Amino acid sequence: MGIALCALVGLLIAAYMSLYKLGAFGMLICGTDGCETVQNSPWAVFLGVPIPYLGFFGYGALLVVALLGLQPRFQADRRVAAALSLGALLGLAFSAYLTYLEAAVIHAWCRWCIGSAVVAVLVFLFAIPELLRLRRS
Amino acid sequence: MHEVRDVAKKNPRGGTNLKAFYLLLGVVAVVGLALILYGSSRGSGAAATEPVNLEALDARGLVEKAQGIKEGPDNAPVQVLVFSDYMCPACAYFATTIEPLVKQEFVQAGRVQLVNYDFPLGGSHIHSFVAARAARCAQDQGKWTEYHNLLLSRQSAWSYSRVAPVEQFTDYATELGLNGDTFQSCLNSDTHAELVTANHQLGQQLGVGGTPSVFIGGRLSLGPNDWDVLKAEIQRALGE
Repeated sequence: MGIALCALVGLLIAAYMSLYKLGAFGMLICGTDGCETVQNSPWAVFLGVPIPYLGFFGYGALLVVALLGLQPRFQADRRVAAALSLGALLGLAFSAYLTYLEAAVIHAWCRWCIGSAVVAVLVFLFAIPELLRLRRS
Repeated sequence: MHEVRDVAKKNPRGGTNLKAFYLLLGVVAVVGLALILYGSSRGSGAAATEPVNLEALDARGLVEKAQGIKEGPDNAPVQVLVFSDYMCPACAYFATTIEPLVKQEFVQAGRVQLVNYDFPLGGSHIHSFVAARAARCAQDQGKWTEYHNLLLSRQSAWSYSRVAPVEQFTDYATELGLNGDTFQSCLNSDTHAELVTANHQLGQQLGVGGTPSVFIGGRLSLGPNDWDVLKAEIQRALGE
């Protein structure tokens, strides 16, 4: 449940950033200029895909799997546990990479990106039981 | 049956009230979407950051369209025109050091009318145009001079921003007691873009090549940032 809730929050953050990237509005509410600096930097694109879009689809997929895992017929399914664990690990690693870029390369902090990184850490913490369950089985 | 119960017992995701959880997810989703809509509406429109195309204007049309910020009486014997760029350090020096002396010595005595025009240089001065617009948005709320001085005195704080420093400019506006929402909606639009463009074109017509360019009684000053030179030029124009 924790994973689903966090994934939803991450999805909403990514949706806001994606709408900005799509040009739906001209300015991010950020409190500083950091969000726009980061979003307009060359590192805001990964393998040709804007990072907010990756976040949107990543969190979206995580939410779907987490909700599936709540259904009685999938509760004991190892594939769900494996998918959640993999998603949590990938999300954590990617967020760590993006946070490093903000700190050491772009030299600007985007509060929404930090929010997303916090969500990724929480997802990972909630996924630890899934990881342990996988190990046990 | 025993197997199912065992699975439910072992499963960390089982045994809780799903309906309440779905309700919670729904509330979070609705609140989140409402916040996104609110955020989108506040950030709607993009700030005009470059000169706009003006219909071809003759000299008279340009003079009518361009508007300097005047200080001092209209009947002052000498008019001093200042063309400046918000990202130019020499303009910051002129505004913070020389201009107060001009005001103190000549404007307050009613002998000079000082008129400030925007002259965003462009090129590497990527935020000059939006800064000039920001000052005009402050003028809408009656605080051009205060905002102009604040922008120039804090030039190094916003000049290096990679994107238009709209939020920083809005913070400056609220610091001066202006209405932040009104200011921001002015800045996040093309308001005053034509005016700033016209001011720039007027400067070009007058032969302004760099900033600050100061015209004293129609003649270009040779040393705007040298108080002794500038003072002597103004005195000469006054016939002293």
